[in-house]
Amino acid sequence: MTHILQARAVVRAYGTTPALRGVTLDITEGEILAITGPSGCGKSTLLHCLAGIMRPDSGEVAYRGTRIDTLSEAARSRLRRTEFGVLFQFGQLVAELTAAQNVALPLLLAGAGRREARTAALAWLERFGVADVADSRPGEMSGGQQQRCAMARALVTEPRLIFADEPTGALDTLAGEQVLGQLVRVAHEQHTTVVLVTHDARVAGYADREIVLRDGAVDASGLGIALPTGRHGR
Amino acid sequence: MLLGLLGGGPKHGYDLKHAYDRTLPRAKPLGFGQVYATLGRLERDGLVTQAGHDRAGGPDRTTFAITDAGRGELERWVATVEPPAPHVGGTLLAKVMVALMWPDAERAMAYLTAQRKAHTDRLRELTAAKTDPAATIGDVIAADYAISHLDADLVWLRTTLARVADLRSGVHE
Amino acid sequence: MRPGTLLRLGLAGTRTDTMRVVLTALSTALAALAVLTAANVVAIGQLTLHGAGSDQWAEQYSNALLREPGLRPGVVITLLLLTVPVFALAGQCARLGAPARDRRLAAFRLAGATPAQTVAVAAAETGVASLAGSLGGLAVYLAGHELLDRRDAEGRLPLPTDVFPHTWFVAVAVLAIPALAALAAAVVMRRVTVGPFGVVRRVRRTRGPGPWPGVFIVLGLLAFAAVGSASPLRVHLGYHIPVWFVPTMLLVGVACAGFGVVIGTGWIAYATGRLLHRRARRPSTVLAAARLVADPWSGSRTLAVLLICVLFGGGTAAVRAWIAAGAEVQRALDAIENPGSPTTSGLVDLFYLRTMDLIDAALLTAVALTAIAMLVVVAEGVVTRRREYASLVAAGVPRATLGRSMLWQALLPAVPAILVALVVGVALVRTIGGEVSAGGGTSRTCDAAGEHCRSTRHPKVVRVVPVPWAELSRDGGVAVLAVFATTGAGLLFLRRSTDLEEIRAT
Repeated sequence: MTHILQARAVVRAYGTTPALRGVTLDITEGEILAITGPSGCGKSTLLHCLAGIMRPDSGEVAYRGTRIDTLSEAARSRLRRTEFGVLFQFGQLVAELTAAQNVALPLLLAGAGRREARTAALAWLERFGVADVADSRPGEMSGGQQQRCAMARALVTEPRLIFADEPTGALDTLAGEQVLGQLVRVAHEQHTTVVLVTHDARVAGYADREIVLRDGAVDASGLGIALPTGRHGR
Repeated sequence: MLLGLLGGGPKHGYDLKHAYDRTLPRAKPLGFGQVYATLGRLERDGLVTQAGHDRAGGPDRTTFAITDAGRGELERWVATVEPPAPHVGGTLLAKVMVALMWPDAERAMAYLTAQRKAHTDRLRELTAAKTDPAATIGDVIAADYAISHLDADLVWLRTTLARVADLRSGVHE
Repeated sequence: MRPGTLLRLGLAGTRTDTMRVVLTALSTALAALAVLTAANVVAIGQLTLHGAGSDQWAEQYSNALLREPGLRPGVVITLLLLTVPVFALAGQCARLGAPARDRRLAAFRLAGATPAQTVAVAAAETGVASLAGSLGGLAVYLAGHELLDRRDAEGRLPLPTDVFPHTWFVAVAVLAIPALAALAAAVVMRRVTVGPFGVVRRVRRTRGPGPWPGVFIVLGLLAFAAVGSASPLRVHLGYHIPVWFVPTMLLVGVACAGFGVVIGTGWIAYATGRLLHRRARRPSTVLAAARLVADPWSGSRTLAVLLICVLFGGGTAAVRAWIAAGAEVQRALDAIENPGSPTTSGLVDLFYLRTMDLIDAALLTAVALTAIAMLVVVAEGVVTRRREYASLVAAGVPRATLGRSMLWQALLPAVPAILVALVVGVALVRTIGGEVSAGGGTSRTCDAAGEHCRSTRHPKVVRVVPVPWAELSRDGGVAVLAVFATTGAGLLFLRRSTDLEEIRAT
């Protein structure tokens, strides 16, 4: 089994506030991994470091054997464009472009022609069941439709890894279920690895494996807190 | 449960009932008859012994104490993870509370970790069953029901642990 | 609501809000200074619109602009027109940091304020800032009055520091500016309904802006053409044209053309967006085109002011060419009639040309002010779209592409608009007269006895006024450069704003 992404002792702080305190993990190709933990435990920061969006203060992140934390911003940007796909909770579609244009954007950046980009975009929108809003702007769609368009945009370049940060956070249960179900289905079809950050146990249920973070470090027990040892007061 | 309470030290039957009610205020209050019947059973099984009679003030106040065998049984009970099912209810609650009262924090942690893992594994199974393309609407609904309850359990567990941790650190620091 | 409360609520805010208040105050100070200086010039003496005898000249000034009563109205008008870019700057500054302020206003609504009250709070902030600025401008003016009161070698003053405008006028000016500014802020807020859940801008129109601007430009041209035809009409047909006709039509013409150019910016932005939309290939152009179509009015206010400056620039270049051609024609005539004698008309021309220089300087100041306003617009645009940009960057869109799209968005409507403004400016002046002539006509000279009259035809020299290509390209170039530079500077905000802390979920 190949490890497609590996992190070793990743440390990252925002100013004086530590966010990650030495996280080590391995991600197998093709698996769906959930990273959970209470708010403020550093899940999103870990995701950003793994995806090359942020550079860790120390430690290594390796993608298919090569370190990505030492790459330049331009190189990481290209990596994110071609090999990774990113999905956030909200605010990721360009409000002035239609859904089709939004989805086509990464292809245009890669140098594809307008027509091919549009065809590919429409195909992906179809796959997620939002082909009917292809020519509407994000403001004219529901949250669930927006997230599905955002997923289409993340997947249009057929990346090997998808990073999702609370993708269903702003959606109600059914819409969220739809989004996750489709994500998982497509991931399985394309053999794409998915790293999913969430605080919701139900969302974590869609994953094959779970890693719990607590205060910036991996918590093996998964309980999120530590019971202090010693005699109890009762 | 009674064993667990006895684990804290020998008690009278009367005290046991009150301790039980105090610990589980929202559960059905235990009747005295039930207490003595359970105690009788436990004694017969060799898990408790009578530690002494105290005739002071009132009817027969037998003190019961836990035996070693009883202690072993108790440990075994706590170590067994409660199978996650929709109607776990009171048993889970009891186990968690006992674990929290347990002097050996490591063992308590081990139990809690294992219990949580069992819950999340089951949740994963149910989610997979739900997203299976062959699932009928009935399957999905049933799975949803179980998932919701498991989720509730997990949230409760997490909150309880955080609460207790807060309490403890307040007491000790 | 009590005024004290109004004040406190209006001035509450973060660092961006403080910056906005400071910028508003600065721009109103400039406006007050301009208005007071204009009033001062007016106070020098009687203004007459047509040439007057030299006894009306105010000899105590070394600057010919102030001496000649015929030129003073021009100075006054220029100064007053300088207040326009200043108000534009103030207006743009009112939008700086707008999302945070909008949220605050929404919170007021949620707490129970009525829409009128929230608008009052917003206007109060502008009002107070501009009052402070106005008073500051007054202080600077008075100080300047004292400090610059120095006579040169000939006992003349460079600036009109010996007269004061009427006190009541000063008071009115100093108070009217903040009042106007507050009113303008309230009017701007009219388009924005502040609901308890946030600000909802009025739904953008589904059709683009209409062809009204073209209509106004044509009207302006017609007005100027009327002026142009006035003198030939008077001469050839003997119509009596009332004295006020020419200046009124000039003013009307400039106003119409100016207005047309201003509201034309929205249309131009929309049209360029539509055109580009069809043909855009690269992502930066796709983004720019979509933005232009979706919101053609963003940033067009400052572009409009820039265009007015360019319009005037075109006009003055044309006037300059006209004067130069007139002088040349005069020289040529002199050469024909009196060969060998030196010309005396050179001196006057120099004087007029110096006036043109001063006007150009004023325009350049206006452009600089407008550039600052544009910078504010660009910065605000980037800051409002933070989250979107940040997630685009996270998805792998290079910042360079985003920057390029912003440049395209600014330059694409600007370049044709600037060209149009230049053309309109030149056209306005040329409709008055495309050619200059000197001499011509016949004169009858009779000898002392009244007999033997002889009519001589004087030679007429006609020159077509050349189009001042050099100046026009210089003016246009400066304007385009201003747009480019300010957008580029605003892009510096891009890097900081797309820092990923903007998109942290939890």
